[in-house]
Amino acid sequence: MSQSSVILKAENISLTYKSRTGFSSSFTHHALKGISFEITMGETIGILGKNGGGKSSLLRILAGIINPTGGQVICPPNTTRALLTLGLGFMPNISGRENAIYSAMLQGASRKKAKAIIPAIEEFAELGEFFDQPVDTYSSGMKARLGFATAMMAEVDILFIDEVLSVGDAHFRQKAEAAMLNKLKGDQTCVFVSHNSDQVNKVCSRAIWIESGVIKEQGNTATVAHHYNLFMQS
Amino acid sequence: MKISDFIILVDTKAKMALKAEASRLYLSFLWWILEPIFFVLAFYFVFNILLKNGHEDYLLFLMCAKIPYMWFSKAVTSASGSIVANRGIISQIDISKAIFPYASIQISLYKEIPVFMLLFVMCIGYGYIPSIEWVWLIPLFFVQYLFIVASGMIAALLVCYADDVRMFINMMMLFLMFVSGIFFDITSIQQPLQDHLLTYNPLAFLCDSFRKILMHKGMYEINHLIGLIIFFSLLIGMLHFLYKLLSRNIASKVVNA
Repeated sequence: MSQSSVILKAENISLTYKSRTGFSSSFTHHALKGISFEITMGETIGILGKNGGGKSSLLRILAGIINPTGGQVICPPNTTRALLTLGLGFMPNISGRENAIYSAMLQGASRKKAKAIIPAIEEFAELGEFFDQPVDTYSSGMKARLGFATAMMAEVDILFIDEVLSVGDAHFRQKAEAAMLNKLKGDQTCVFVSHNSDQVNKVCSRAIWIESGVIKEQGNTATVAHHYNLFMQS
Repeated sequence: MKISDFIILVDTKAKMALKAEASRLYLSFLWWILEPIFFVLAFYFVFNILLKNGHEDYLLFLMCAKIPYMWFSKAVTSASGSIVANRGIISQIDISKAIFPYASIQISLYKEIPVFMLLFVMCIGYGYIPSIEWVWLIPLFFVQYLFIVASGMIAALLVCYADDVRMFINMMMLFLMFVSGIFFDITSIQQPLQDHLLTYNPLAFLCDSFRKILMHKGMYEINHLIGLIIFFSLLIGMLHFLYKLLSRNIASKVVNA
């Protein structure tokens, strides 16, 4: 790593999908084509782009879930990364409490630690007595609340957030946004993905706009968001 | 991930899945007992009533091998689809993929406990009273577990790359049922074929060993058992290494499937 404050460096990342369409025929899709950027410690950067533009794939590569087909992601050794997602591994016939424990364990917490953070999840999710009922009795908003409350507990060096603020009712959305902003105010390094430029504008200091697998523009959030909006309206 | 955290996560996932399965059924956990009882009754009906098999212990003879075989078959088949079935989790988190076949295998193990209890009750019912030799069942269970883990991990990995492997697994299970001495006594096969089957087909060795202990107060070839423990332990170690090496490649295959 050339600069000590750089926590993640994406070098010429490309991703090509090859899916079989028949016995000897296949379809090739270039989802990402040579993406390069750096993230410094404590920075919150936003990735903008329309749905299907390769944002989620990029996030998976940055979070270390899949490897790119070209290029590389460089992080200092022992950097912990997590993709904040809603309802990680939720089992419908099991109670919210047990699902929250399991989900926290999947994110790397020990069973003891997972159980210790349950009261905080219970309080944040505002599910009342439903917390001990099976998840399949929940409304979609309730599921989202449980998912967000569980996901927010992840303590990692770099947090990757994929379109999570578009869930639940208005009251919970505000609460979730406030909780996330609070988390981002600290030393948390974060990559925030959205197709909504207002959300990115609110939480990010820098933005990257991805269009058809390449970086179309990057820099100051307000400028990038403005150009992105103009492009989307045209 | 620490080994202890890995084991706890596998166990938690398995117990939650079992609880979820039980909550879907009216008779809940009772099915764990009912299923093997119905299964034995079906075989009793076929072999003792329809076919009037002259060999009076034939039902027990069959069960001593059929139950270990079914444990193997069910565990490996369910483990084979376990990584693909957890696509949602794999697309969101960088996690050891070995967790999924292990959790499936653990579910099968817990479900097998009442089945083996039923087998022991049957042995007593047929007059084969438990003796000190039954202690030798413990290493046998251990070897069978290792065999299941190795086979389950290989199957789950291959299914990620080609779903066709599932068809092959089904055919393989049928083939194994016929070459493992389940419906017949393996010792009735001519030499050297008999030795080859017992040496190269661990399931034939296991089925024969279960019968030897439960029905004849006998003993299996201990050196062969030790050989199997060493072989499967090394194989599982290699598979863990391979899983670690291919972790993100597996994720790419599963996510884009």
